[in-house]
Amino acid sequence: MPHRTRFRLFLIIFISLFLVNPSLRAGQDLHWVWAVKDARIITLAGPPIEKGTLVIRDGLIEAVGAAVPIPADAEVIDGAKLTIYPGLMDGLGQSLLKLPEEKLDMTRISSGEFTDKDRGVTPGLNAFDYVNLGKAAFEKYHKLGFTAGHVMPDRGVFTGRSALFCFSDPDKNKALLLKDVCLGIGFSPSNFMAYPSSLMGVNAYLKQALTDAVYFDRAMSRWLKEMKGLQRPEYSPNFEALAGYAAAAKPVIFLCRNQNDVRRSLSLAAEYKLDYFIADLGGEAFEVLPELKNAKARVLCTVGFKPPGSSLYAQQGKAEREKAEKDVYPKNPSRLADAGIPFAFSSLGTDDPKAFAEGIQKAIEAGLPKEKALEALTKTPAVFFGLNRALGTIEPGKIANVVLAEGELLAKEMKVRYVFADGNRFELKEAKPGEGEKPTVNVTGKWEMTLEGGMGMKLVVDFVQEEAALSGKMTTPFGVFEFTGGTVSGNSISFEMNVSVGGQDLDLFFSGTVEGERMTGSAVQGGAGTAEFTARRIPG
Amino acid sequence: MKLKTAAFGIFAALLVIALSGRLPAAEKTVLLKNGQVITVSGETIAGGDILVSGTKIVKVGKGLAAPAGAEVIDLAGRWAMPGIIDAHSHIGLEGDVNEMGALLTPEVDCRDVINPKDINIFYALTGGVTSIHTMHGSANPIGGKGIALKMRWGKSAAELVFEGAPLTSKWALGENPKRSNMSGMGPARYPRTRMGVEESIRDEFEKAKDYLKEWAEYEKKARAARYSKGKITPPLPPKKDYHLEGVADILSGKLWVRCHAYQSEEMLSIMRLCREYGVKLVCFEHGLEGYRITNELVQYGVAIATFEDFWGYKWEAYNTMPQAASLCAKRGVLVAIASDDAERMRHLFNDAAKSVRFGGATEAEALRMLTINPAKILGVDSRVGTIEPGKDADLAVFNRHPLDPFAVCEITMVDGAVYFDRAKYLEERKKTKDEAKKKVPEKKDGGEV
Repeated sequence: MPHRTRFRLFLIIFISLFLVNPSLRAGQDLHWVWAVKDARIITLAGPPIEKGTLVIRDGLIEAVGAAVPIPADAEVIDGAKLTIYPGLMDGLGQSLLKLPEEKLDMTRISSGEFTDKDRGVTPGLNAFDYVNLGKAAFEKYHKLGFTAGHVMPDRGVFTGRSALFCFSDPDKNKALLLKDVCLGIGFSPSNFMAYPSSLMGVNAYLKQALTDAVYFDRAMSRWLKEMKGLQRPEYSPNFEALAGYAAAAKPVIFLCRNQNDVRRSLSLAAEYKLDYFIADLGGEAFEVLPELKNAKARVLCTVGFKPPGSSLYAQQGKAEREKAEKDVYPKNPSRLADAGIPFAFSSLGTDDPKAFAEGIQKAIEAGLPKEKALEALTKTPAVFFGLNRALGTIEPGKIANVVLAEGELLAKEMKVRYVFADGNRFELKEAKPGEGEKPTVNVTGKWEMTLEGGMGMKLVVDFVQEEAALSGKMTTPFGVFEFTGGTVSGNSISFEMNVSVGGQDLDLFFSGTVEGERMTGSAVQGGAGTAEFTARRIPG
Repeated sequence: MKLKTAAFGIFAALLVIALSGRLPAAEKTVLLKNGQVITVSGETIAGGDILVSGTKIVKVGKGLAAPAGAEVIDLAGRWAMPGIIDAHSHIGLEGDVNEMGALLTPEVDCRDVINPKDINIFYALTGGVTSIHTMHGSANPIGGKGIALKMRWGKSAAELVFEGAPLTSKWALGENPKRSNMSGMGPARYPRTRMGVEESIRDEFEKAKDYLKEWAEYEKKARAARYSKGKITPPLPPKKDYHLEGVADILSGKLWVRCHAYQSEEMLSIMRLCREYGVKLVCFEHGLEGYRITNELVQYGVAIATFEDFWGYKWEAYNTMPQAASLCAKRGVLVAIASDDAERMRHLFNDAAKSVRFGGATEAEALRMLTINPAKILGVDSRVGTIEPGKDADLAVFNRHPLDPFAVCEITMVDGAVYFDRAKYLEERKKTKDEAKKKVPEKKDGGEV
């Protein structure tokens, strides 16, 4: 036993070394000066430099140009085959967040004692506190050219506050760009009988809460100023967290699931004079272009391209829905560009950075000019969040967030060789074919799955596994739903399924591990949270 | 989800129809010629014509000449009636129609959640429905605000709203707000009795009165402070409360109350409450036992929006009969036949016919239950509900008399624009299907080139 403990201790120290300092691993900790020579440089601050040099020192861009001398103390990278771009930025995402898992206390829920969290009211929830930066997360982003991202909790009504990070250091204190940037406002009602339990309730709740927060702020500052002769307002952490946003000192982000949400947001923003962004998560901004243009709205655009359940396409059944997913929704970004509405891309609505990048490529195929796409990943988000003096282009004095790629960035065949984030160099290795572990299990066949929670719902899943690819269908009390595109890696499975019930649209993410004839795991539903499941293979 | 399968593959056809609705109706002249015109306001005109200019009916009569440039629709003896108005509906709304999270929710508003892409709006047109009142559900003694919509399929949420129609407040009595039929859904919620339901409303009235008083006092103090030249500190205003302002709007009569109720006793007692507070109680929703209290309904001027022959689905819905609507009408109660359902909505004219066949209503009375009566309940009777010059050109054209069991709605017009034309629609649908069939071999050829 003592031997094993010591071994584990070693392991922990070993791993933490990796985590704390990725550059140490590369053995280049001491180099804070870099020069990339003979590279093509797309600065986005002027015309491309066909053959130039980029000098990076102490995390910042020191010089860039065709005739820039290479400093004596610089480590030189030959950029002859490389093109340098400003690092890409995810305008809004939440995949880097690891919110505390909370088991639902069904006794409490059924007794009707609801918390603010049950109601989706978590304006105090701070992305900074729950961000999970690390080598693995960075690598996923880096190999697609991303060096910074905007992270925000996205569940509930007041979803929480955002933060911007460079993908440069696992220490969030070092990686942080800005904290408490935006407050998320969503339109998803609570899943319980807690107010607001309906979309119309959410609207009413939002109006009252925005009013209350401003009132609280005014009453509190008045009391602090005068004290005498005034009643002291009751303290409320929620209103305190909301106040700055409700008074338009800071922007909110409306998380819009469809075009109706966009219109609701515009009218709320106008009525309560909010500073705001529209996160077009339903990808239906193209249906609201004149209104967005009129309101001078700024948009964070998804590339998920899934017609929302409220759309006429989805109401017409699977064939129409899939057709729209292919032909209509991918045009959304180009429609925004044509209308001259400023937009940045958001990874919300796509499962991982890879799907995010593929979505951007789809948008380009559907007519979005490449330079517009690049702008929506660099300059525009930098301007949106007040970082345009630090990020967005390659100019001396800005943060050294750059991408060194073989081939054109955002092209299918592009290969990112290096990224610099905060001047830290990350070298990207060629991905081995067939990412992920080889499957060690075969789940093909029927499984009986029990979803834990209030009702303990029983489902039957019919898996079809071909090597690492997983598809199948699930029989539920609401109908039979098919899924494809799942994966098996080692003994873990994961798949995503879209469920359309009564015009409502749910995306469910299942992940689990297989032990013999049993499977355990969890199902995550965007706005609703997580449900554990167990499954048992049905013999025969 | 039957609707979905039924609608499968007809998407393009729908779009065409939707787009045709977008055509500007302004100042376009249409002559509907040679039909059986059921005016509802007067006699049915055999071989009658309706002249429509822009959004309005301008002339009704026989042998009207088509003005230059007018579009002529030959009714060829078909039946034209005022567009059907469904006084009780929940379509066109996004999300749950009940705010379950609180007992009283006058602050929630259906206008915030209108979904103009709800396909049931199109289906309503196929049944000759041109206007509806869509509203909050019946889970709460005081629910949310409701609104009248016109079935302008293809238009935006704002454009669907029946301009000028009064906003309503949806109330509910009996088993639903008592949660009698909801076992295992959380803790027991006050109130559990019919008495409690009424008391919960009365309590809210008192709170709203206090709220208004608080504001009045504030205004007084603020005025005093303004004139004191800095001697009196200006008071802090009370907190704005959307919930209580909703209740105050009920007390002031700004919101018209639409009250879900089945039993005669609770209808009587809520009428007493409304009279006490001066509330504008317009209509009992369902009101299945209304035939027992017709004198009181007439006296207080409360209508019923009811089912023709749908009852017995719960304890409080037992004591009625297919004759109820007709009995009420005969005693002078304003009666509307309503759907409460996206499917029933498409054949309300069948339901009205049953009141003739089984309840002994006259045909004229039955037709009023679909048109001018609900228009009065919605407060839009100066605009719609009859075929008369000056009214909105909201029309439904049937192949037979609308009360004939084989009647099918063929054309539906809203604001002088044809939003549904069955013949065109079927043609488009066929075309789309044929094209879809053709497409498959085309693809193959393309692949080989």
